[in-house]
Amino acid sequence: MDKTIEQIKEDALKELEAASGPESIKALSVCYLGRKGLVTQFLRSISSLPQEKRADAGKKANEVKKLLDTAFKKALKQLEAESAVSDDRIDVSLPGRVVKRGSLHPITQITQEICDIFSRLGFDIAEGPEVETDYYNFEALNIPKNHPARDMQDTFYISKNIVLRTHTSPTQPRIMEKRKPPLRVIAPGKVYRCDSDLTHTPMFQQVEGFLVDKKSSFGDLKGILTTFIHKIFDDQTRLRFRPSFFPFTEPSAEIDIGCVMCRGKGCRVCSQTGWLEIIGAGMVHPALFENVGYDTKLYTGFAFGMGIERIAMLKYGIDDIRKFYENDLRFLKQF
Amino acid sequence: MKVSLSWLKDYIPIKMDAEDLAEALTMAGLEVEAVSDRYNYLDTVVVGRVVEVNPHPNANKLKLCSVDIGGQTIPVVCGAPNTKKDMLAPCALPGTCFPNGIILEQSNIRGEVSKGMLCSPVELGLGISGSGIMELKQNLAVGDKLHHALGLSDTVFEIDLTPNRPDCLSIIGTAREIAAFQKTKVSYPEINVSEPLAEPLAESPDTAGDISNFSSVTIIDPDLCPRYSARLVFDIKIEPSPFWLQDRLVSVGLKPINNIVDITNFVMMETGQPLHAFDFDRLAENRIVVRAAEEGEQFTTLDQKERILSTGMLLICDGEKPVALAGVMGGMNSEIEDSTTRILLESAYFDPICIRKTSKKTGLATDASHRFERGTDLGGTVKALNRAVQLISEICGGKIIHGIIDEYPKPAPERIITLSVDASNRRLGTSLSQDEIEQYLKSIEFAVEKIDDDKLRVVPPSFRVDINRFEDLTEEIARLYGYNNIETTFPLIPAEARPPSKKIELRNRIKQLMTCLGFTEAINYSFINKLSCDRLELKADDPKRLMMDVLNPISEDQATMRISLIPGLLETMQYNISVQNRNLKLFEIGNVFFHTGQKDSLPDEVEILSGLWTGARVDAYWGSKEISCDFYDLKGAVEELLRNLGIINTTFTAIEPDACCYTKPGYSARIIVDDSLIGLLGEIHPLVLRNYDLKQKAYVFELDFDKLIGIVPDIKLAKPIPKFPATSRDITLIVDKDIEAMNILKMVEILNENLVENLHLFDVYEGSPIPAGKKSISLRITYRSAFETLEDEMINSLHKDITGRLIKEFDAILPA
Ligand SMILES: [Zn+2]
Repeated sequence: MDKTIEQIKEDALKELEAASGPESIKALSVCYLGRKGLVTQFLRSISSLPQEKRADAGKKANEVKKLLDTAFKKALKQLEAESAVSDDRIDVSLPGRVVKRGSLHPITQITQEICDIFSRLGFDIAEGPEVETDYYNFEALNIPKNHPARDMQDTFYISKNIVLRTHTSPTQPRIMEKRKPPLRVIAPGKVYRCDSDLTHTPMFQQVEGFLVDKKSSFGDLKGILTTFIHKIFDDQTRLRFRPSFFPFTEPSAEIDIGCVMCRGKGCRVCSQTGWLEIIGAGMVHPALFENVGYDTKLYTGFAFGMGIERIAMLKYGIDDIRKFYENDLRFLKQF
Repeated sequence: MKVSLSWLKDYIPIKMDAEDLAEALTMAGLEVEAVSDRYNYLDTVVVGRVVEVNPHPNANKLKLCSVDIGGQTIPVVCGAPNTKKDMLAPCALPGTCFPNGIILEQSNIRGEVSKGMLCSPVELGLGISGSGIMELKQNLAVGDKLHHALGLSDTVFEIDLTPNRPDCLSIIGTAREIAAFQKTKVSYPEINVSEPLAEPLAESPDTAGDISNFSSVTIIDPDLCPRYSARLVFDIKIEPSPFWLQDRLVSVGLKPINNIVDITNFVMMETGQPLHAFDFDRLAENRIVVRAAEEGEQFTTLDQKERILSTGMLLICDGEKPVALAGVMGGMNSEIEDSTTRILLESAYFDPICIRKTSKKTGLATDASHRFERGTDLGGTVKALNRAVQLISEICGGKIIHGIIDEYPKPAPERIITLSVDASNRRLGTSLSQDEIEQYLKSIEFAVEKIDDDKLRVVPPSFRVDINRFEDLTEEIARLYGYNNIETTFPLIPAEARPPSKKIELRNRIKQLMTCLGFTEAINYSFINKLSCDRLELKADDPKRLMMDVLNPISEDQATMRISLIPGLLETMQYNISVQNRNLKLFEIGNVFFHTGQKDSLPDEVEILSGLWTGARVDAYWGSKEISCDFYDLKGAVEELLRNLGIINTTFTAIEPDACCYTKPGYSARIIVDDSLIGLLGEIHPLVLRNYDLKQKAYVFELDFDKLIGIVPDIKLAKPIPKFPATSRDITLIVDKDIEAMNILKMVEILNENLVENLHLFDVYEGSPIPAGKKSISLRITYRSAFETLEDEMINSLHKDITGRLIKEFDAILPA
């Protein structure tokens, strides 16, 4: 019983520091804490001490035992963890195993974006049938039979009175018949026209929008559409409103935006004009209100419609509308 | 419609440059689609100097010239007698497109190369006389472009007019719009008709007397022809028009014909009123009768085509027979000929709907019908007639017969519109004064009177056929004030949450889920080929074969409305494979259209979700070869989709052969939720694959989206996390090959719903050592109680019990 417990501790820690592998740490552990280890022996020797010193020595020895035990275990764990790392290497440059997500059709994405913007502006989303009666597609919209305005849209007929809707505008009388003002509605959907070339497909998609209330003006229409254009493109986009003609609006307007391709300088996309026609709009024609039984003295409203492909083409820089309906995976996967 | 700047300037001074004018017209509602210079075709015609003239070795009448075109000298073969050394003349270079449509090419004329062409004024569209080369002044610069050297420039605006503005289908109509935004006045042409006296004159008895002595007009159908005005001109000579008149017509894209026809076209372009000239001597009884056509009546139009007419069409007749299809085209039998000396000139108003129907039915669309069907100026027939007669007497030297026939059985109702300034300002969001509004309307020739402080009495001019009510006036006010000057405001919208309908929300969710499951969204046309039912191998009596056919399809492939999304997906697959996209996971949500069986009625539109998987389940990569997808891959996707939507009680049951013709027998399942059929899943039938020229297997599913909406739960309730541990036991049964695994699983659940927490089917095996006709099925049953930790003994006894019941129920044996 020569060394003090303090000395034992110092020695043990020194040796631990010098220890080179798990085996030597385990040996150290046995050497100090094993049944015949130095600390164990010291503990046993306490009984031979005078009564008054036993308690203190015992406490100190136990503390050392605990301390060393922790130190050995910690060192051992550290070494084990280190030994799990070997010189083996993997080729991190190999491609990862494929996990494929599909993608939404670009038209769906733009439609959702448009709907989101108008939802935030307080508009409901509604839908209507794609095959329509002549009444809702034309007559209710103030486009009588044998009116030259019918030439503005090449119509697919199913029978004399059944057509593939040429625009989403029939949703206006359909919804107005069912609901009373105030109304704020947008209605996206497929529409059909007998036309097929670089800028036309026989089926395409539109979003119709309308607002009917006791007080709504052409200025309000400008406000809503300006906000929309700034959200769907960016708030630097210039707009201009110019007179046009739709049988179901009066006054009617065509909304042009500054060409997003050339920023108004003039390019092929905008036919060198610097402007792109993007939305048809106007104040709802009173004939439409009369057809659905609204009081034209009490209510005014505005309506607008736009082609979704056109917006998608501008946003994504696509020059051939037919790409949307070829469903070539190499195209669809880009969105 | 084409409008030339030079012609416009006859009626209105124009100070702005062409670009600004185009912009201003567009902003006034007359959309200018293109602006060009009509002399652009002279871009490749230069001032040339003839430096040498030699006889052509192989042709007597031709000369071989050397022409200096500025910097280089080219050989030109020329036949004109006036070609001489040192003359300056227009030399067209290869690529020049002459007004007659011919494009000049470098040529070899009788063995001699000709690299250009010396031109006459006629060839260049710059004159109408002479066969010789156009001789140019010596002070012009050789090599200069001809239009530059001669100062030839005339802007042509191509205007795309909306159908409501027939009043602008003329040069004067366009000038009126310019006058309004330029704040200048239109100078209308002065019309002075020098009429001879009504009394007979001894020296010219043939042309004396009032028109009523010579002719008459009878309108039998005043609804279709509310007004018919006519005049007679005698002693005319049919000739080519003078150059200025031809040039005016050419400037707006019309072809000169002869003086009379050219004058009628000129006046139509000037005023918008179509006119028609009849050979007076070819009119039986020298008179005009306007009547509706009879069904089946035949008539030969100017274009030498025999037309079969129907009721509702309008005919101009003489004393015996039809001589013109009113408002659309004249007849062969009364056409002006070179020998014509006496003409009757018609200036009428025809009912727009009648003209439109006639034009549509006959397929004849003319400059005249285009104007009549949009509405001409009911008040302007006489003015246009007098303008034409004036020009005829000036140009053709004819004698005008005294007096006008002006049958006007149905005068236009007076259009008086009361306009409230306040209401107009509210509709537009403007704050214009009464005076401002009055000025705007007057600037476009509306008659305006003040009624009180707010109201105006407005009468639109007769040519503005589009103005009928207050709202129409607000558009005029807005147009003239400028749409872009109207202040941008915002409607007052209450703060309400407007969630999308369940249908839209669910559709978006499904689309999102499908992409997460690896499927890409396709959108196919809603129309398909009529042969699609055959290609899908549908039975002859399948009700789906009654389809909504399109009467006027663009192509056979788009001739009927789809009754399934599968044809579209298979065509998409075919297209993609043709461009080497072999591995496809596609989905589509869209409507299909079922005929109700009733004629002239709307179809049932049913929204369907379909998916297609073909090619790889796992793409080939460095660690493994490609693994092909199969039935269970697609089934797994559908199960995961439904599970994510909160639908739990889904079962898939085998379809008896023949129940679905486009999927392979034995490899098809019904998708059933709570006893209701919501869709199908299966492998595409090999015959169908062949019909679509496809060589690789494809798996498809179809779900009725409308039915899904009904079964997707609105609310999700959380289940408590189990407190007590679970224990599992495996079981392997050897059963008949035909027994559906699902039945075994269901039975286990029935046997002890409370303690069986989960069933996992972890192996299905056929083949040695399992006897033929049998298969082994291995299940792991997880037992758990919500109330206690289950004792081993209890589980063992439960498991033994279940095993025993399964053996009995399915005639199963345990593996050896
Ligand atoms: Zn551009």
